[in-house]
Amino acid sequence: MTCVELQQSLAEIENGSTAEQQAHLRTCSSCSALVEELALIIAAAPALLEAEEPSPRVWNSIEIQLRQEGLIRPQRANQPSALSLAASASRSRWGWARLMVPAAALMILIGIYVNQRFRTPQQLVKGQPLAITSEANIAGLNDDELLQEISNQSPALRAQYADSLRRVNDYIADAKRIVDADPYDEEARRSLMEAYQQKSMLFELAMDRSLP
Amino acid sequence: MSGRTIKLVALSVMVAGTLLAENRKEYRFNVGPKASVSVNNPYGSISVRPSSGNTVVVNALLHSDKVEVDNTQTANRVYIQSHLLPGADANSGQVDYEVLVPTDASITLHSSTGQLYAEKLHGDVTMEGTASPVNARDLSNAHVHVKTLNGAVTLRNVQDGHVEVDSLSGEVTLNGVNGPLVQVVSTSGNIVYIGDFGSSGEYRLTSHSGDIEATIPETTSADVSARSVRGEVHDDIPLQPKTHTSFVIQQGRAFAGTMGRAAVSSTVVLRTFSGKIHLKKRADK
Repeated sequence: MTCVELQQSLAEIENGSTAEQQAHLRTCSSCSALVEELALIIAAAPALLEAEEPSPRVWNSIEIQLRQEGLIRPQRANQPSALSLAASASRSRWGWARLMVPAAALMILIGIYVNQRFRTPQQLVKGQPLAITSEANIAGLNDDELLQEISNQSPALRAQYADSLRRVNDYIADAKRIVDADPYDEEARRSLMEAYQQKSMLFELAMDRSLP
Repeated sequence: MSGRTIKLVALSVMVAGTLLAENRKEYRFNVGPKASVSVNNPYGSISVRPSSGNTVVVNALLHSDKVEVDNTQTANRVYIQSHLLPGADANSGQVDYEVLVPTDASITLHSSTGQLYAEKLHGDVTMEGTASPVNARDLSNAHVHVKTLNGAVTLRNVQDGHVEVDSLSGEVTLNGVNGPLVQVVSTSGNIVYIGDFGSSGEYRLTSHSGDIEATIPETTSADVSARSVRGEVHDDIPLQPKTHTSFVIQQGRAFAGTMGRAAVSSTVVLRTFSGKIHLKKRADK
């Protein structure tokens, strides 16, 4: 199991964890540190008022918004939606933690989740364009806002980030075109995911500790 | 006083001023097995080498009084942070660190511009930087995670590693790197692999527009799949072609096959969108 797979599977950890997850955590300090931090958040969560938990209306409105933007599609009656899964996840052991993880990771995961789990074969056959988060803003920022932040904090780095953003956006656009051309191409889908991860990393580096 | 003497005096004053402004500090921490050491340094280099005992030694060279070093130890974790004071910039805020850690310690290094370096460790290594060149060598049984924007990454002699490198545009060079997982993802940087792909690992080298070059001995055992959407692929080593692949083999754009003994082979995936892929045979000495 890789670090990415572990982090994507965190929502599935209940009271214990799977043998695979435990094996990875035993050997990976960065993931075990992440899990420790999540555990701390969860330990603190009961102190929060129950009333502060988002109501089903919140999840519904997010779901409607995502549908309107074409990021997810209506599901069959017996098929759970991404948001209902997210809502149920919020009641699981890692629920509060999931609400606390960075918005960037959330947007990436929503994109991957919608693409990989919720596209039915019928949708693929119809050749509908993939619903992904290409236009979604990561961490609540769009590219221009990110560059503005960098200009404010560290003007010398702005040109580097602008160039990197252009490159990674090209990467996403090319990867998306290949997936659109052949939605069954697993490698292409993986490439698209990696392109988004590169952009996620860019935002992370910009906003993380390495930026002075 | 001659002109030459005046110049010498002026130079001496400048050197003395620089030395006065520079400030060396040393910090020592006693730690247990598998300690965790984190160094966050916006400007400046960080080098990590093994110490002889269960001690973490941090030598910091501060380039001005516009920066301080915050240090804390919580149980088996040591945190070092360069603390920029008002008015600090890339020069005055610079700190260069030389850190000695027990060989089994896990380290996390952050810098924006300075070189990140680690050697001879077998704990986990995480290195993140914006323009920082990243170098690591002689690591074993470690998770090695590297993230850079445009700094070059060079890993040399990493054995049984769980290696994940993400770089936007920096060149990535892996020399003698093997393990269960070796993965490089780059947007536009070239990727160079020199080695033998181990015996049973998964090797994924992906770049959007960068070139990928793998130089391996002819005795390598590996299942190799290479594909460039718009670029070219070249293969100097004869492969036994695969009858079934997950993609259409387009001549000059992709190849897939097995070399050496399939039973003990690693899986090698080379992918680029517009770059070139070259699987080269290592010249025997």
